[in-house]
Amino acid sequence: MPIDWEPIWLTLRLASVTTILLLLIGVPLAGWLALSRFRLKPVVEALISLPLVLPPSVVGFYLLLTFSPTSWLGAWLLKTVDIQLVFSFEGLVVASLLYSLPFMVHPIQAGLENLPVSWREAAYTLGQSPTRTFWRVLLPNCKPALLTGIVLTFAHTIGEFGLVLMIGGNLPGQTRVASIAIYDEVEQLHFETAHAYAALLLGVSFAILLLVYAINKRVTV
Amino acid sequence: MIHLDVVMPRLFTEGTRDLQVRLDIQTGTLTALIGPSGSGKTTLLRLLAGLENPSKGRITVNEEVWLDKSNRVNLPPQQRSIGFVFQDTALFPNMTVLENIQFAARKDQPDFLQELISATGLNAFVNTRPAALSGGQRQRVALARALVRQPKLLLLDEPFAALDSTSSQQLRQVLLELHTRWGTTTLLVSHHAADVKALADRVVQLMQGRIQSDSLRDERLSTTPVAEPITRITYDEVLSLWVIETATTQIRSANPAWEQWKVGDLLQLSARKPDRNG
Repeated sequence: MPIDWEPIWLTLRLASVTTILLLLIGVPLAGWLALSRFRLKPVVEALISLPLVLPPSVVGFYLLLTFSPTSWLGAWLLKTVDIQLVFSFEGLVVASLLYSLPFMVHPIQAGLENLPVSWREAAYTLGQSPTRTFWRVLLPNCKPALLTGIVLTFAHTIGEFGLVLMIGGNLPGQTRVASIAIYDEVEQLHFETAHAYAALLLGVSFAILLLVYAINKRVTV
Repeated sequence: MIHLDVVMPRLFTEGTRDLQVRLDIQTGTLTALIGPSGSGKTTLLRLLAGLENPSKGRITVNEEVWLDKSNRVNLPPQQRSIGFVFQDTALFPNMTVLENIQFAARKDQPDFLQELISATGLNAFVNTRPAALSGGQRQRVALARALVRQPKLLLLDEPFAALDSTSSQQLRQVLLELHTRWGTTTLLVSHHAADVKALADRVVQLMQGRIQSDSLRDERLSTTPVAEPITRITYDEVLSLWVIETATTQIRSANPAWEQWKVGDLLQLSARKPDRNG
């Protein structure tokens, strides 16, 4: 049976979009968590870490209720910006952002917290603002942590199943990512196709991880 | 003139008590803070830099108020004209020597930047990353970086602590030359008696967060014995200087006649008032 490449491209697109967006959101968030003395910081940290302990189906279920067109938020999104987040690629991206957030934030936060405090203080005594210090001094010295965050986010998004199934279903070209396609093919007893998807996903994931760890080693050496 | 009057609760070896220091520092002088570990020396530097927040106090530098707790004034480090040399140098590993020094430099003073690099003997290392430098070279970069904004107050936290005696002597020489050239008011924390003797106009000793003694260079010199045996002679090839040390003093000279001196010779020390500009 010829393999349908659509789920593979969709998976890579979802993982890429999620990783890029999470890099933009996660870096400032990790910086704030690492450097701020905000009293309610533990609350924010707990919320970010929730997906680590919750089953994907729980997160997916609540997101399904929240983004459903019958909910207040879902109806408002549909009416004002004409976006329906359930059973759509955009919905998968939003769900993946929330679900993979700790995988991006935690390594970067840990990397920043492990830097010597004197670097930050030296920059301040040289008249530099906390923002410039963060972008020019702290973040460039956190490259391994950044790469770890990118790899974990990308790999985690590729492997999502329960969350995708809950909020996205199985719409070809829209939400039918590789993990769903494998499950679908197995259900229909198309083991050869399922095997092709699985092997491809395995190969792509391994190649990406290998590449990033090789780069990471060069950065840290 | 720098006026410092601060109170801050802090953990000392004998338990939590107030660090309480009142100090007036003459502009252009080099004051050494000495005392045992945990006596509050570094905390005092950090208070001046705005890196610590005292419970009470006031700091003024040339009539400019940096801290006044009663009036809720507390300038952040960025707004205080300071240069801080950290014990671990705190050089940024992602930048070269030049980039580290340039990081805070004013764009309209390229000549000063070059002068600073030359004065600290860093011309050969400008494109090197800090990780490839020796301890002494790193401290010189940290010193150049701290001076690049031409601060009113230079704070040095144990800059000689991790250096061998040769590197330490070279750094002392550089520091003394820079101090003589620009007259930046300097506060030096040090454990090493040789640093204090060679550099400081005034020595303030701290003990458990309080000033225990405060002496000027003249007072210390007047108590110095007039003749002492030489304990060590070295030739600093980088600076082309002879360095002669006795139990209490260190002196340097480019005079080639010093070559004939040896360890054990009596060094006749005069107790005249030092003339830094002469």
